[in-house]
Amino acid sequence: MIKVFSTPTCPYCVTLKEFFKEHNIEFEDIDVSQDEKARDEMVEKSGQMGVPVVDINGEIVVGFDKEKISQLLKITE
Amino acid sequence: MMYDLIIIGGGPAGITAGIYAARKKLKTLLITKEWGGQIIEASDIQNWPGEKSISGINLMNKMVEHLKEYEIEMKEGKEAIDLEKKNNNFIVRDNDEEYETKTVIIATGKIPRALNIPGEEKFKGKGVSFCSTCDAPMFKDKEVAVIGGGNAGFDAALDLTKYAKKIYILEFLEETRGDSATKEKLEKTGRVEIYTNVAVKEIRGDKFVKSLIYENRDTGKDTETKIQGVFVVIGMMPKAGFAEGLVEFNEIGEIKVDRDNNTKTKGIFAAGDITDVKYEQIVIAASEGAKAALTVSDYLKTK
Repeated sequence: MIKVFSTPTCPYCVTLKEFFKEHNIEFEDIDVSQDEKARDEMVEKSGQMGVPVVDINGEIVVGFDKEKISQLLKITE
Repeated sequence: MMYDLIIIGGGPAGITAGIYAARKKLKTLLITKEWGGQIIEASDIQNWPGEKSISGINLMNKMVEHLKEYEIEMKEGKEAIDLEKKNNNFIVRDNDEEYETKTVIIATGKIPRALNIPGEEKFKGKGVSFCSTCDAPMFKDKEVAVIGGGNAGFDAALDLTKYAKKIYILEFLEETRGDSATKEKLEKTGRVEIYTNVAVKEIRGDKFVKSLIYENRDTGKDTETKIQGVFVVIGMMPKAGFAEGLVEFNEIGEIKVDRDNNTKTKGIFAAGDITDVKYEQIVIAASEGAKAALTVSDYLKTK
């Protein structure tokens, strides 16, 4: 289960989601600018107050860390 | 293996240089940490010919797609960390490999300038942000400080007025330099306070940012203010430390180039916002990249 915590205006969030779409990876897109509960969940899980944050089966990745995300999802380009 | 050209940087200057170099059939490698550079954060670009209105991300994607039409090697997610001269050629080193090349175009652009004060690095992403567009919504009903009273600082504060309950703008100089129209808009919200002639000294907190210490430059008196967010908006700085010794920098760290993009070392060229060329615009960075690649092509013929 992949969750992307993002805001609509954050450019790196857009890049990250494009990257998932490009590789046909399904994810739940959570807009933390609207969903306060999700925002608190994200801050607690990641210890971060910046977006994007990705939750890949419980593994937290902060920012658009392409290398780490690719590694976790075994994406090769 | 020997490259004709290594381009360092994947913003408009580097990408355009790549397209021109590939069309000249130069054996080219482009190394970039990320694509797009500063344009990624532009929400609406209205001065790129052929596009009446386009987001930075979309424009970047189009540029990269265009570049990838050509035969050119690319290392993405890598950063050049060292450049040195070897006989008449150059060695470029990234995080894990080194490459040999006849010429280099430096197009690494600019990154947001940091305050370099205690707590700034430690609390990055934990209250300290360099991108209000990205992170403003995280600060709903919180108190935040914007460091920098220029136009970019005012814009960041404006982003934040949609969410934060209190915004302090702290400016080092005696006057803010941002638009007075924006300033009026900010003041009208009743939630923005502007302090000038103050030096920010420290960011404090535990897991997240809790407060900020600034000094009144007139009286020398320190004040600690409780805030949960700090947005640093004090301009951009060039980043080409890896080329030290081989290029000449001006007083703000930009690489000095002549009108054909030559640096002080033969075979090393620079293009875009990293240089001392006036006006930082996407179209200008792109054309500088094109010029640099054409100069490289001519240079290689004489080599």
